[in-house]
Amino acid sequence: MSRLSSAEKATLIEKMVRFIPHAELQGICLESIDGEEVTMRLPYREELVGNPDTGAIHSGVLTVLLDHTLGTAGLCCDKVGPTITPTLDLRIDHLGIAPANRDILAVARVYKVTRRVIFVEGFAYCESRDKPIARATGSWVLMPELALDKLLSATAETADP
Amino acid sequence: MNLSELIAHQPDEDTLRLWLKKIPYAAYLGIDAEVRGNEILFILPADDKLIGNPTLPAIHGGVVGAFMEHAATFHLVAKMDTPVLPKIIDFSLDYLRPARLLATYASCKVTRQGKFIANVSVSAWQEQSDQPNAIARAHFLIPEND
Repeated sequence: MSRLSSAEKATLIEKMVRFIPHAELQGICLESIDGEEVTMRLPYREELVGNPDTGAIHSGVLTVLLDHTLGTAGLCCDKVGPTITPTLDLRIDHLGIAPANRDILAVARVYKVTRRVIFVEGFAYCESRDKPIARATGSWVLMPELALDKLLSATAETADP
Repeated sequence: MNLSELIAHQPDEDTLRLWLKKIPYAAYLGIDAEVRGNEILFILPADDKLIGNPTLPAIHGGVVGAFMEHAATFHLVAKMDTPVLPKIIDFSLDYLRPARLLATYASCKVTRQGKFIANVSVSAWQEQSDQPNAIARAHFLIPEND
């Protein structure tokens, strides 16, 4: 398996956000790549509020962000690389509240790769990595026969009506 | 009327819809609800802004999860004797098939409600309720009144 540089991983991850309309609409963007660990940012928006009395973000928003970030971690994992990985399952523990007017960051890393399944873990935080507001684990199905670059370029070709 | 005050009213279809409108994220996703006898059906209308995979096209899996979480929360509130807004503890979601760009429905069951904790299961489907797109289960903490 070829190792991608951090710059190559960043390009792929940014392409992936633009490929996924809902992720792009949410303004989800790459924060940083540290080896095989990826961090994504979700900017605060009033539309995402779950408790109008406090302005706290809805916990379901974390499901979107963590699903996206954990799903992206495969692109950063040297044993996985650029392939399509549909989500099989996702489990989220809610440890705190995403307060008003704060962006949310999500961090993820693949911790086990098998022939068909990759196992990913991650967390979300607002203030500091030491104070996660949610933890997530999930599994993704590995489909190396569906190369990501083909999908991304096929979409680019068919995007113009 | 704030959300807590609204929740304290016994839920019928109109109250349920008012709750959903009061929550900015539920309103953004476009979640609606219908009450049919004892059953509550939650509805996520198809909308281009919810697309996760443009080639199928399919609704973003995270959005399906967020919709199911709303359904679980409000189903639980609606079934409570003294409605309070429960706090989600954890959420576990199994994706079974991609959700196409169609209306998605969710129905829930309170599997167990104790004094402090409730367990709610959710099924989300599109064309046939016996072919769910995703199933989930959530644990909620019931805030204690002093």
